[in-house]
Amino acid sequence: MLKLENVTKTFGKIVALKDINFNIGDSEFVFITGASGAGKTTLLRLMLRELLPDSGKIELDKEDITKLPSKQIPRLRQKIGVVFQDFKVLGERTIKENVEVALAVIGLPKNDWEARVEHVLKLVGLTDRADLFPAQLSGGELQRVSLARALVVNPKIILADEPTGNLDWETADKLMDLFEKINSEGKSIIMATHNKLIIDKMNKRVIELKEGGVFSDSESKVKTKSEKGKK
Amino acid sequence: MNIHIKTAWDHVRRAPFQAMAAIFVLTITFFVITIITILGYSSSQVLKYFETRPQVITFLKDDITPEKISALQNKLEADNRVSEVSYISKEQALEIYKKATAGNPLLSELVSPSIFPASLEFSLVDLSYANDLIEEIKGEEIVDQVGFTASLGGEETLSDVVNRLRTFSNYIKIGGGAFALLLTSTSFLVLIVIIGMRMTSRRGEIEVLDLIGATPGFIRSPIIYEAIIYAITGVFIGWLIALLLVLYATPSLISYFGEIPVVPKDTLKLFGLFGLILGAEFLIGLFLAVSGSILAVLRVKRK
Repeated sequence: MLKLENVTKTFGKIVALKDINFNIGDSEFVFITGASGAGKTTLLRLMLRELLPDSGKIELDKEDITKLPSKQIPRLRQKIGVVFQDFKVLGERTIKENVEVALAVIGLPKNDWEARVEHVLKLVGLTDRADLFPAQLSGGELQRVSLARALVVNPKIILADEPTGNLDWETADKLMDLFEKINSEGKSIIMATHNKLIIDKMNKRVIELKEGGVFSDSESKVKTKSEKGKK
Repeated sequence: MNIHIKTAWDHVRRAPFQAMAAIFVLTITFFVITIITILGYSSSQVLKYFETRPQVITFLKDDITPEKISALQNKLEADNRVSEVSYISKEQALEIYKKATAGNPLLSELVSPSIFPASLEFSLVDLSYANDLIEEIKGEEIVDQVGFTASLGGEETLSDVVNRLRTFSNYIKIGGGAFALLLTSTSFLVLIVIIGMRMTSRRGEIEVLDLIGATPGFIRSPIIYEAIIYAITGVFIGWLIALLLVLYATPSLISYFGEIPVVPKDTLKLFGLFGLILGAEFLIGLFLAVSGSILAVLRVKRK
C-alpha cells in the first residue's frame, strides 16, 4: 500500500533522510523509531506531502505522491488520518465540532455526520464529552479527540507522530489499546515514537532510523548492510 | 447553518471589537456614499427641472386658424431638440395673467382676453439649441414674436442659472465622488488589516485544516464570509441611517423647494431610489469584502 524507494531529504547541508526503502502493506501496524533528529517526523511529513523529497519515490496505492500537483494534495491528505503529539485540536470548537470539521473537509453531506461522529466518539470513549471544549479535557482525552478526528473520515492509513509523547504511561497504554483495536479493524497504522516500553509491549513491526537511514527493520529482522559495516 | 458561515459568525462574536471597528468604518463609508448619491440625484433633478421648464414662448399672430396652430405644434413636437410643447389660448393667457396679478385686482379688471396673444410654449432638451431654434421659429408665418424665459433669482438669463447649477452639480459629483473613493479605500484597508489579524490569530487552525486535507477554498471561506458579514452589516446600517435622515428631512425639503423635485415626492419612487442605492452598495460591499479578504489571505500566506 505504501512504498518508499530511495527517498532522500536534505535541509541545506543536513541530511535528514538518506536512501530510505521500505514497503508497508494493508492493515499493517508499523513503528518508526529512533533517537530525536533521526528523521521520524520528516518521514511522516514526506508521506503527508508536507515536504518533497530531494530524490526517490513515495507510492501510496501505486500513486507516486511526490509527483502530485499541489491541487491534488488535499485529496491525498483526505485519505490519510493524522494524529499529532500536540493533539492539534481546534480550541474554539467543541469536541463534536472538532470531529465534524474533518467530515466537512471531505465534503460529506451534513445528514451523514451524526452517525459517523457518534460512532467514533463511542469508539474512543468520548461520547459524554462531545459538547465540551478542548480546554475542559485532559491530555489523554485530547489525544483521543485527535484520533477520533483522524478516524471519522474512514482513512485507509493513519499516521501518528509521537501520539503518546505528552501522556503518562497509563494513559498512553490505553491509547495504544485503542490503536490496536483500530488496526484490527483493517486500518494501517504508521506510528513514529521513541517510547521503548510501548514498542516492546505492542510487538509490531519496527523500522528504526539512525542518522537519516534505516538502521533496522524488524520485518527483515536484519540490520542494513551499511549499518553492519559501521558496527 | 453552513459550517463556514457558522465559523465566520463565531469569529465575529469572539472578537467583537475588531468586528465593531470594521463595521463602524463601513457604516460611515456607506452612509456618506448614500448621502452623496442622494445629493447627486437631487442636483441632477434640480438641473433637469430648470432645463426642462417652458423656456421658449412663441406668441402667435391673431386670427390664425387652429389647423395652422396645430401644424406648428406637431412640427415642434416632432423636433427632437424640443420637449413638452403646450398651447396656451388667449383665455388661458388671461387666467395666467390674473393669477400673476392676484395681489392687484385693478390690473386684471382692465384687460380682456383679446389683448393677450395665444402662444405655443415649449422647453428645450438642451439650452445650447435655443438660439438656432428661436431663429427658425421666427421665420414661421404664424409667429408674431418669440420670447425666452429669463430673470430667475436675479440672474440675467436662464442659461446663467442652469450653468451655475451645472457647475454646482459637477462639484457635488466630483468632490463627493473623490470623498467617497477616499472613504471606500480606507474601508478596504481596514478590512485587509482586520482580516489579516484574524488570519494570524487563526494560523494554528489553518495549519490543522491544511494537514487534514482542507482545500484552500475551504480554509478561505470563513474568512471571506466574515468580511461579507462586516460589509453587509456596514452597508445596511449606513444606508438605513441615511434613509431615516432623508425621510426626516423630506417634508421640510419639499416645503422649502416647492415644486423643484430635490427628492422624489412619491413615497414609492423614494423607496425605489433608495432600493437601487442599497443594491448598488451591497455589490460594492461584496466586492470590497471578497477582494479585501482574498488579498489579506494572500499577504498572510506570503509571510
